Amino acid sequence: MTVQVREHQKTPLWRNATVLKWAAQLFVLGAILAVFALLVSQALTNFASSDISFGWQWLSSPTGVQLREGIDVVPDSGARALLVGIVNTLRVAISGIFAATILGTLIGISRLSKNWIVNKIATVYIETIRNIPLLVQIFFWSALAVTLPALTADDVGEYFFKVSNKGFAFAGIFPGLGWLPWLMFVIVGFFVGRYVAKRRKKYQEDTGKPGHGGRYWFGIVLLSGIIGWFAWPLLGFMSHVFGAIESFVDGLPPVVFPIIIALAAIVGSMWWIRNFFESRRTPAGFGKMTDDDWFRVIFAGVSGVTVAVLAFVVGGFSLETVAGDTQSVAELIRTVIGNFFGWLSAAFAGDVSTIVAETQMRVREGGPLVFSKPAVVLLGAGIPQYARTGLVITVPFFAIWTGVTLYTAAFIAEIVRGGILAVPKGQTEAAQAMGFRRGQYLRLIILPQAFRIILPPMGNQYLNLAKNTSLGLAVAYADIVAVGFTIMNQTGQSLPVVVVWMAFFVTMSLTISAIVNYYNRKMMLVER
Amino acid sequence: MSDNGQTSERILGDPIVITEDVKKWFGDFQALKGVTATVREREVVVIIGPSGSGKSTYIRCINRLEAHQEGTIIVDGTELTNDIKNVEKIRSEVGMVFQQFNLFPHLTVLDNITLAPQWVRKRPKAEAEEMGMALLEQMGIPEQASKYPGQLSGGQQQRVAIARSLAMEPRIMLFDEPTSALDPEMIKEVLDVMKDLAASGMTMIVVTHEMGFAKEVADRVMFFDYGTIVEEGTPEHFFTNPQHDRTKLFLSQIL
Repeated sequence: MTVQVREHQKTPLWRNATVLKWAAQLFVLGAILAVFALLVSQALTNFASSDISFGWQWLSSPTGVQLREGIDVVPDSGARALLVGIVNTLRVAISGIFAATILGTLIGISRLSKNWIVNKIATVYIETIRNIPLLVQIFFWSALAVTLPALTADDVGEYFFKVSNKGFAFAGIFPGLGWLPWLMFVIVGFFVGRYVAKRRKKYQEDTGKPGHGGRYWFGIVLLSGIIGWFAWPLLGFMSHVFGAIESFVDGLPPVVFPIIIALAAIVGSMWWIRNFFESRRTPAGFGKMTDDDWFRVIFAGVSGVTVAVLAFVVGGFSLETVAGDTQSVAELIRTVIGNFFGWLSAAFAGDVSTIVAETQMRVREGGPLVFSKPAVVLLGAGIPQYARTGLVITVPFFAIWTGVTLYTAAFIAEIVRGGILAVPKGQTEAAQAMGFRRGQYLRLIILPQAFRIILPPMGNQYLNLAKNTSLGLAVAYADIVAVGFTIMNQTGQSLPVVVVWMAFFVTMSLTISAIVNYYNRKMMLVER
Repeated sequence: MSDNGQTSERILGDPIVITEDVKKWFGDFQALKGVTATVREREVVVIIGPSGSGKSTYIRCINRLEAHQEGTIIVDGTELTNDIKNVEKIRSEVGMVFQQFNLFPHLTVLDNITLAPQWVRKRPKAEAEEMGMALLEQMGIPEQASKYPGQLSGGQQQRVAIARSLAMEPRIMLFDEPTSALDPEMIKEVLDVMKDLAASGMTMIVVTHEMGFAKEVADRVMFFDYGTIVEEGTPEHFFTNPQHDRTKLFLSQIL
């Protein structure tokens, strides 16, 4: 018996699923590019017709911006001011992420505690914090700090610890003369120590005798720190090396930099495509590529070429840097890279000026690390103020840091609780049945499994925290947003500043994502 | 020598698990209503009964995964009380195999087996691994040592779980429906391992629905219902001449 097929027709294009899918993909891609091009050209036209030009002069010209805190409170250019803002933002974001993780984990575990009081305290914390808008909380911490006693003329003097409505000041240890070469010694000691600790651990596993790996590690780091304290000038030759690199970079023709970026983009996309093909290769031979697979390959290739072309186009842009003086973007990149090596060169020479401006007061003599105490002094008009010594937690920093940390910790606590609860109860029972103690099985069995569940949502919280630092504007914390805002007001260049903001936040967020994804991939469970 | 009669050549030793009038409530539901039983060294006891009859709760009380509320449980001469030290001592002497295997999915098969000997028994890693490999050999799956549990079949996972318990060199093994989560063709490979274990003289308390295993291996069968032992005896007595109506009904339904 033969199967009857109705008269075989050629499928018309508008019914062909493959054609339709490709058309849709290309249409969306084209539409996005078109809208983007339209926006850019429209913006440029508008700027051309108005008095304000889309310019970048403010990057290198003095803006007159004064900052309340940071590595340089009177930056000599817009770029420098933004750098101070970036460092201030990162200060809150990075320390906040660590603090929120620790606090959130503790509260999350407390939420599961059988101890009634501990459990209820954690619950009240979470329910209070996460139900009040972050902005309100930031104002609350700021308002609370302002109620602290004011500094008076009687307070003038040095302290180990001082609280006032100008903030919290702590004595502390800070980088001093030769801190960078000294740090090199410590880093080398760290890796040598890690190697030795591994050997000791293996010895312990093989023989069952205590290996004291941790003690060896700590001892080696301490020893290299002590050696480095006196020996850091030996690394002075690195100053010449970096100095040579600096003059080499400065001597390069600017076109080298777009070439490097273009090459990196093309090599990167080729590498991605190669890996992609590799992943489709099976022992039985090359797997079948779907349409989506081909689209991804094409998209990767097109992106690489686009970035490469853009590198040359953007690299060739001339920016009016100082009034009347123009510099291409490529030259600007050269300057930034050259300056970085210049900074390294100076740091290895033990040049005091490499140490951030805020700490210059504390840097005199002493060595790579300097102990510094906060002091209250009278400013010109007789107003008592913290001197620029010690570690001063200003009220804006306190408000934004406490705000984002406590807020994010509440969400992290819920994620940790959920992660631990998601580990099947059988895991605990199996561990108990084998005689593990609570601390042991939590550490060896439950937390490693909870960690895999926790990581992806934890990454989201880190991104939220990093982005929420922009609320520091509300309490006049000198982060990148506040600094940019000031520049905007003084120069009228709103779009360039916004572009810098966006570029910074995208870079920061993608970096955080990349780190979290890296750990996530490393931690993935092997399934069948 | 045994008044319970014997189906194998194993010579039973002294009582090793003694439970007297053990009672246990979950909220207002009474799971155990006074269970009195004694298990002797090298004895294989099979517990059967309908679901919810308290048989799992009973063996989970023996290593205190559940705490009993009334009565006495003495394991290898140590009474189970709130004394944490006693609980730890007993848990390291009583191995347990679960229905859902409960292997640690983030560790390799060999690490699953060597973790407890290293951390609880403080064995050097090399020694623990040597022993772990020997146990995997015994289970017939030495080639799976470096795989992760997720890559193994159910029967293989359960055999790893048995090896993991044996690595602690327990004096008593508890089995909580070890074959209930397995495909029919994998049940045999697990039961074979359990038979070998019984023949080697291990004291075993097995909750199972495998009547074939009970007939062939058990020294004694206990029938649980509503939190009490309704009837117990040798497999011969139990399967050919049950006394209680409830036992007869149960057997008629499952055989």
